[in-house]
Amino acid sequence: MENVVSLEQVNKNYILGKTTVNALRNVSLVVAKGDFISIAGPSGSGKTTLLNLIGCVDIATSGHVIINDQDTHDLSDRQLTELRLNTIGFIFQSFNLVSVLSVFQNVEFPLLLQGKISVEERKTRVMDLLKKVGIENHSKHRPNELSGGQRQRVAIARALVTRPKIILADEPTANLDSKTGETIIDLMKEMNEQEKTTFIFSTHDARVMAHANTIINIADGQIVGNQMADKNKSSVKTSAKSKKTDKTKSKSSVKLQGKTK
Amino acid sequence: MSQLFLIAIRNLIQHRKRSLMLGGAIAGVTMLLIFLTSLSSGVRKAMFEAATTIQTGHINVAGFYKVTAGRSAPIVTDYKKVMEVIKKSLPDVEYIVPRGRGWARVVSDTSSLQAGLAGIDINQEPYFKNVLHLESGDFNALSEPHTVLIFEAQAKRLNVKVGDVIVISALMPNGTNNTIDLRVVAIAQDVGIFSNFSVFMPHQSVNDLYQINSNNMGALYVYIKNIKQLPKDMDILRKSLTEAGYTMMDSDPRVFWIKFDSVNREDWTGQKIDLTTWEDEISFIKWTITAIDGITYILTSILLIIIVIGIMNSMWIAINERTREIGTLRAIGMQRRRVMSMFVIEAFTLSALATLTGAVWGLLLAGIVHALHIHIPTGAQMFLMSNTLKFSFDFFRVINGMFVIIGATTLISLIPSLRAARLKPITAMQHNG
Repeated sequence: MENVVSLEQVNKNYILGKTTVNALRNVSLVVAKGDFISIAGPSGSGKTTLLNLIGCVDIATSGHVIINDQDTHDLSDRQLTELRLNTIGFIFQSFNLVSVLSVFQNVEFPLLLQGKISVEERKTRVMDLLKKVGIENHSKHRPNELSGGQRQRVAIARALVTRPKIILADEPTANLDSKTGETIIDLMKEMNEQEKTTFIFSTHDARVMAHANTIINIADGQIVGNQMADKNKSSVKTSAKSKKTDKTKSKSSVKLQGKTK
Repeated sequence: MSQLFLIAIRNLIQHRKRSLMLGGAIAGVTMLLIFLTSLSSGVRKAMFEAATTIQTGHINVAGFYKVTAGRSAPIVTDYKKVMEVIKKSLPDVEYIVPRGRGWARVVSDTSSLQAGLAGIDINQEPYFKNVLHLESGDFNALSEPHTVLIFEAQAKRLNVKVGDVIVISALMPNGTNNTIDLRVVAIAQDVGIFSNFSVFMPHQSVNDLYQINSNNMGALYVYIKNIKQLPKDMDILRKSLTEAGYTMMDSDPRVFWIKFDSVNREDWTGQKIDLTTWEDEISFIKWTITAIDGITYILTSILLIIIVIGIMNSMWIAINERTREIGTLRAIGMQRRRVMSMFVIEAFTLSALATLTGAVWGLLLAGIVHALHIHIPTGAQMFLMSNTLKFSFDFFRVINGMFVIIGATTLISLIPSLRAARLKPITAMQHNG
């Protein structure tokens, strides 16, 4: 199966005054195309750092981050930006829509950055996606005229519009009520199944995790285990101390190569 | 690119208060610049009209005749032949006006003043009646012998009115004084410094006063169709007159009466032709335009610096407020140069709209003040060449001024824009501003 993400012995350190914080330690991970993965862990465990490295918005202190067969360590800022534009979609906790653009324009924006798609195709693609995420009637609204759930739908459409191989979502349901959060995760799952797009999202909400094929547990900057969830299971173990990988139930192709406790 | 423009405009609208304040300041500076440049253009135009009617042609074919090495007279002998050479060699000529020249004391019953004498043929002066405006009397009466046109301030000082007789007393090269009585037939409105020192009379009166024959003339004022051709026409004339056998004076960009001393010191006799432009003849008062332009540029430069600092500050604030947005846009694939373009476009859009508004305001204000015919104090009239404030629209200068303001503000916006573009996506996304 095609691997879209591969992390090899990745470390990420931050300097905070005179202290060095090891945000990630020797993380190795392989993610195959079409996975629907949840990164779980307490606050400060390194979930966002991991997503940022996979998303090429940050660079590892050491180790290799390989996205779509390209070692990000070797890429210039321009190439990294192109990689993000063409290969990765982002869904943010706070939606991060451009407030002065309408729903349609927000979703259309990445296509304009790509700059090689005709007006007609852009319109078709954007409207199709808005329809899929159930917000086509709000295409002319500005983000501040929408509810949190609606905004996140727009963000999902924006992330999907370039047909990226990977979509990264950093706590996509954190700012939503539980019902809306469930709907958003269902939508992401639906998109994952329909478009075969790899989804990697972080959360510490057990109900959200339950939708993932695989849950990667992270604590203190290390992957401490992963759980392969049955697609139909409604709950999964979320313990950060999990030591075993239940491969018998696996429908996922995530390979955990990091140190497990 | 259209999306970046859209973002720029909507951001400007979103931050309406800030945009209005900054845009208002830019518009204000533009208005001031346009108002002052229109004034400068108005003065330039008034000066050009007044100078080229009273004092000079576009090109002056004049010269000095010296009987002995130390005694010169500002005349062109056998001027009709010179006119023929000019007409033949210069296709750009619109018309040529012969003018008598002199310097004399004008005496009334109660007072006197010094003035330059201008001999004219009123029927051969196409624009004279358009540029000068009469307070009283009749232009056409100047075609009668022994008549004179004087200006308002002169009439006041001499305490004369139309119909009164004044005496012109001129010092001859031999040291004696010749006088002639002239009847005031017209009193014209003042047109600045030139009107303070000029009186107009028929050619014959000048010839009678100086006892010279009618083949001699003070100067030939040449008016050309295209003023931009002036340097080229000057070259053609110099060459043609030389080829026609005239001895030419070296090019000297000063008014003719300043040249007397140097001419008298030179060791030659006979006729020499002097070619000057209208700008040479009014070089002694050109400082007026230079001063107005100087004030305009200093004032607008100071204000422009303030505006530029304002733009910088405003953009720092905008970038600080929108750092997370920059992070998002970088994350979803916007290249650095596009981030920079986004902010530069914003500054350009604000600047262009404000400058355009300011230019319209400036032109409107200039138009209103022009239409109000605001009277200029007598002292200022001397140098502004008009008795009312006059403004003129100079398309090139307006566009130039607008470009300078838009250019400066856009250029300075590159600094904060560059900083925004250099932000790392992760740093920008984690910004808490």
